[in-house]
Amino acid sequence: MSDRPPQRKAINRLLVEPSVSFQLVRPSTPEGAIRLLSQAGAGEIAVLAGGTDLSWDLDQARIAPIQVLSLGKLPWKYLRWENGSLVVGSTLPLRALELDPHVKRRLPGLWEAIRDVGSPALRSRATLGGNLGRCSPVSDLIPMLLAFDARVRIVGPNGAREHPVDMVLQESRRTSLGPAELIESVILPASGPSAYLWQRVQPVNDISQVGVAVAFVPERPHWHIALGGLQPRARRLSEAEAVLRSARPTRFEMELAAQEAARRAEFVSDKRATESYRRRLVAVLVRRAIQTTVERMPKPSPARKGTR
Amino acid sequence: MTRSDAEPKARGAVEYGTDLAAPHMLWAALVRSPIPHGRIVRMDLGPAREMPGVVAVVGPDDLRDLLPKGALEAERPVFPLDEIRYRGEPIAAVAAETLEQARAAAAAVAPELESLRVDARIEDIFPEWPSEAAAKDPRVVGHVHARYGDLDAKFRNAELVHSETYRTSGVHQVAIEPHACLAEVRDGTFHVRSSTQTPFGVRDDLASILGVPPSRLVVEGTWVGGGFGGKGAAFLEPYAVLLAVASGRPVKLSLTFEEEFELGRTTLPSIIRLDTAVSRGRIVGRRVRLLLDTGASLPGRDFAVGYSIGFLLGPYRTEAYEIEGFALQTNQPPFGPHRAPFAPQSVFALESHIDGLARRLGVDPIEFRKLHAWREGDRTAYDQPVGPFGLEAGLEAAARTAGVWRTGLPPGHGIGVACGFWSTATGAGGEARLRLRPNGLTILQGEREIGNGSVIRGLAAVAERVLGLPDDAIRVEYGDTATAPFDSGVFGSRTLGALGQAVEKAARSLAHTLASRVGAPAIRLEMKNDQVVVVAGRRRQKLADLLTPAERTAGGVVALGKHYAPERTVDASRVLAGTVYPYQDFTAAVHLAEVEVDRETGHVRVVRYAAFQDVGVAVDPPGLTGQVEGGVVMGLGTALSEEMLWTPEGRLANPGLLDYRLPRIRDVPPIHVKTIEGFAGAGPFGAKGVGEPPIIPVPAAVANAVADATGTRVFELPLTPERVARALKLL
Amino acid sequence: MSDGPLTLTLNGKLRQFEKVPDSERLLDTLRWRAGLKGTKEGCRTGGCGACTVLVNGEPTLSCLLLSHEIDAEKVTTIEGLASEKIGRVVIKAFTEAGAVQCGYCTPGFVVALAAQLRGAGPPPSVESLLDGLEGNLCRCTGYRAIQKAVEAVHEALK
Repeated sequence: MSDRPPQRKAINRLLVEPSVSFQLVRPSTPEGAIRLLSQAGAGEIAVLAGGTDLSWDLDQARIAPIQVLSLGKLPWKYLRWENGSLVVGSTLPLRALELDPHVKRRLPGLWEAIRDVGSPALRSRATLGGNLGRCSPVSDLIPMLLAFDARVRIVGPNGAREHPVDMVLQESRRTSLGPAELIESVILPASGPSAYLWQRVQPVNDISQVGVAVAFVPERPHWHIALGGLQPRARRLSEAEAVLRSARPTRFEMELAAQEAARRAEFVSDKRATESYRRRLVAVLVRRAIQTTVERMPKPSPARKGTR
Repeated sequence: MTRSDAEPKARGAVEYGTDLAAPHMLWAALVRSPIPHGRIVRMDLGPAREMPGVVAVVGPDDLRDLLPKGALEAERPVFPLDEIRYRGEPIAAVAAETLEQARAAAAAVAPELESLRVDARIEDIFPEWPSEAAAKDPRVVGHVHARYGDLDAKFRNAELVHSETYRTSGVHQVAIEPHACLAEVRDGTFHVRSSTQTPFGVRDDLASILGVPPSRLVVEGTWVGGGFGGKGAAFLEPYAVLLAVASGRPVKLSLTFEEEFELGRTTLPSIIRLDTAVSRGRIVGRRVRLLLDTGASLPGRDFAVGYSIGFLLGPYRTEAYEIEGFALQTNQPPFGPHRAPFAPQSVFALESHIDGLARRLGVDPIEFRKLHAWREGDRTAYDQPVGPFGLEAGLEAAARTAGVWRTGLPPGHGIGVACGFWSTATGAGGEARLRLRPNGLTILQGEREIGNGSVIRGLAAVAERVLGLPDDAIRVEYGDTATAPFDSGVFGSRTLGALGQAVEKAARSLAHTLASRVGAPAIRLEMKNDQVVVVAGRRRQKLADLLTPAERTAGGVVALGKHYAPERTVDASRVLAGTVYPYQDFTAAVHLAEVEVDRETGHVRVVRYAAFQDVGVAVDPPGLTGQVEGGVVMGLGTALSEEMLWTPEGRLANPGLLDYRLPRIRDVPPIHVKTIEGFAGAGPFGAKGVGEPPIIPVPAAVANAVADATGTRVFELPLTPERVARALKLL
Repeated sequence: MSDGPLTLTLNGKLRQFEKVPDSERLLDTLRWRAGLKGTKEGCRTGGCGACTVLVNGEPTLSCLLLSHEIDAEKVTTIEGLASEKIGRVVIKAFTEAGAVQCGYCTPGFVVALAAQLRGAGPPPSVESLLDGLEGNLCRCTGYRAIQKAVEAVHEALK
């Protein structure tokens, strides 16, 4: 090797990560939490919901906060139904959502997406609010929240506000929340049938190469289609949605919507999949997810059968 | 038969390497290079030594002080003396009162490094099969070449020549227990406790790496949380010993999973080129070429190539052949053995190739293999006589099962077959000391149970079979390298076959001694009221009554058994360069896989699986089943999802379980395990080892099933959905 | 750096630990402060399940959990489960099914399985029990013997 000229460059970075030390704070009221956030400087405080993802950042020394603010003592571990909407407190463990029979029956797509996050032991700590706050482009939950047109209740120094989930998302580890704001809950409006499909190298405990969420909702446009596995974030595909005009689209319309989704979405190539494979997957999975959603619609009454 | 270690392990009550602790113990951390290739210009360890809690810091410059008589072999440096050869290579090590302090101090080392050009990936260096160019490339550092017969004529006159190129990826052993050891200096002797498959191997490695005589080293194995080849040589032990010497305190060193992956010692990638000449429906000539990425390995490169090459000829009669293998040096970590080293990858290429050839000829793939399969008395490519071999019987059994599966096979499904062969009872040898006490038998030997049961159950089963004592009257004891008889290690499917023979001989010697005492031609033993009873015909006597006074004091009758592997030879005239390896015995595995392929996404699901395993004699049937099932599922990982993803810059993109995907409980298909008995191997009673053979054919069987389902062949491992989708021309 | 005392109800006993750093994970508290090494250290990234313990009865990855996050809560480890009836049933099933080879993953499997069976009433289906084990990696057995152990446990509790 000595025949090649060396590139002389001083390098003084190592592969050992220093162990991070920080103070863990666990306020028991939202006001207390917001006060702590307001007092901290940029990068000095990290918010811990379930911690299943944040602990990686800590281990990798990707962040080095002085304080870690745990939401564990806040009274946000609730699940309730209000006027047909599901309201999920941001620190409720995903496992509780998964085990709720009404969630599985009324929001099957959400249940499927939750069911595909890590393992049961991971879901016993991981939370919906944490998942949303991390804003991972490969989140399995965010596409489904987008498809449901979920609203996010945010609390901060200036009180509470509610926004569509689409407005909250920015990019990996970044949302539109202010520095002292927190996600209190996620509101999922009443929805018709829904489905969540993904492709992974391995079915269980893997990161989805793409995730496709489809929901059929009461208002127009009825069909909502959202994709995960995109950079910088998951998003709705209104162009594809527009192709679907009826509650029971034809196979051709489904195919068209899928092609439209594959054409419109911006994919990237990374270690998990190439751009062209992701595009191919979307073309298949969008069609299948619509099909699955149609299959979940209430069966038409026998009298109407002949009219189809 | 329930294993005696199962219950305590399930309760969490046994001590593994990661659990090791000692009074006044320090924790160690490695300082690892951020660059894959370069030199250390300057490295000041002073600041790290000043960090809180730090007791010792050692780097390249300390080696001569710490080990004045050390050989400091350039071939096996503890720290790089000249070049850093892979990203993550340890360049210094720290010991401190707590692990956090050790890591913080390691991070405080700020070396000035000089980068050299990085050659990270075989596919960047040789995007196409390099042919003659490879031999001249300075990065090609090992060469094996063998030839036999008039190959050019065979190819010239062939009716058909089938030519293909295959590629495989690096796969990691991923034992769930990370590597861990604890070293201390006692009275000038280095004591090392380690989670290892080879206590004696670690001792001898340490002796050569540190330049100290083996007599000053004692290595004691712990319970091992999975090895699969990854815990078979000195690895962390040298760093721990150096820190123990420098600090005067016991030092514990264990790895994070990120370190496990970045330090490698795994199977590394290869490119395999196969050309096969066919006349009148038979293979008449073969050209086999292998380019093996041996990473930053220094010793053993030629071994890796010579060993792999053997599998590429396969268990098939070969009239004329030429094989050529090259070791490519890259800036990946050194390779290491992984369950049946080099075989699943080589066999993937060979068995895919044979399968494709059979289909091209319009012949049933199983029949085509039978036409060429070795039978006892055939000669190997290097002219070694083939011993009893269950391949043909395995193929016949597989053909029957395939026939049943073929009936009513749903659309989109396919069935694939693949064969593998292996030589068991390898290694230099083993010794065991048996002591028959009035209330039972103890087997003292030098290995630790690594999980497969070959020590705790396999050795006991051998003694049980010879003496007739029940398993619960037999205890396997583990010594350290100072107290136990020698053994080569738990690797190479050799424990039952080789160390088992030492136990068998010692047991026979005990039986012989007792038979002569009772004046009978033969005896067997029984337990009655917790007492060993010697049975000769109708006569029964308590062992206690047959012991001499001295034996009573010593605690029983003792016998030492030894087994040293017999020398086997190859026809050296066929070997033009490098070394090829003979076999101790001939063990076959024939596998069938049924898969379902998603024709739109390329996703492959294994629907069911059957493994026909040539075992000679089944000594421990439940253990055998566990080995076959475990091997098959590990092989499914190699086939479908496991792959070390290296970037062109020499960085591992998936150093952990997030993107290195192992099979999980819901991925596992029904697995039918069938044994093929009656073809004796080199082990006791004609037994053959089964630790490794069951992983060998798996990637090929799955790939052949995918080809059967889709009519399309995938030439690269693993068969991820995207690779299959590309082969299906979906994108 | 902050390191306050930590109180846990550990395997039914109230335990207090002095000076536990805020950054410490439950896995390390259990193994190196409480001396309960039956909880195994594997990948430390939530991928292998070897460190699974019960927190208030829920299977939890102790490698990802800050110890102070569960101050004063109930933690049950393999050592605690092994002395419960359900733990003994599961351990027996693993032992008899040949589901223990190297054994490093086994305590995690036992905890993850037993967690699903501690409630009153009939056991969940075998399928559901297997789903509950999908976070646990085993590299030795190929899972077939573990599946048999699950079936045996289900049969025993039906």
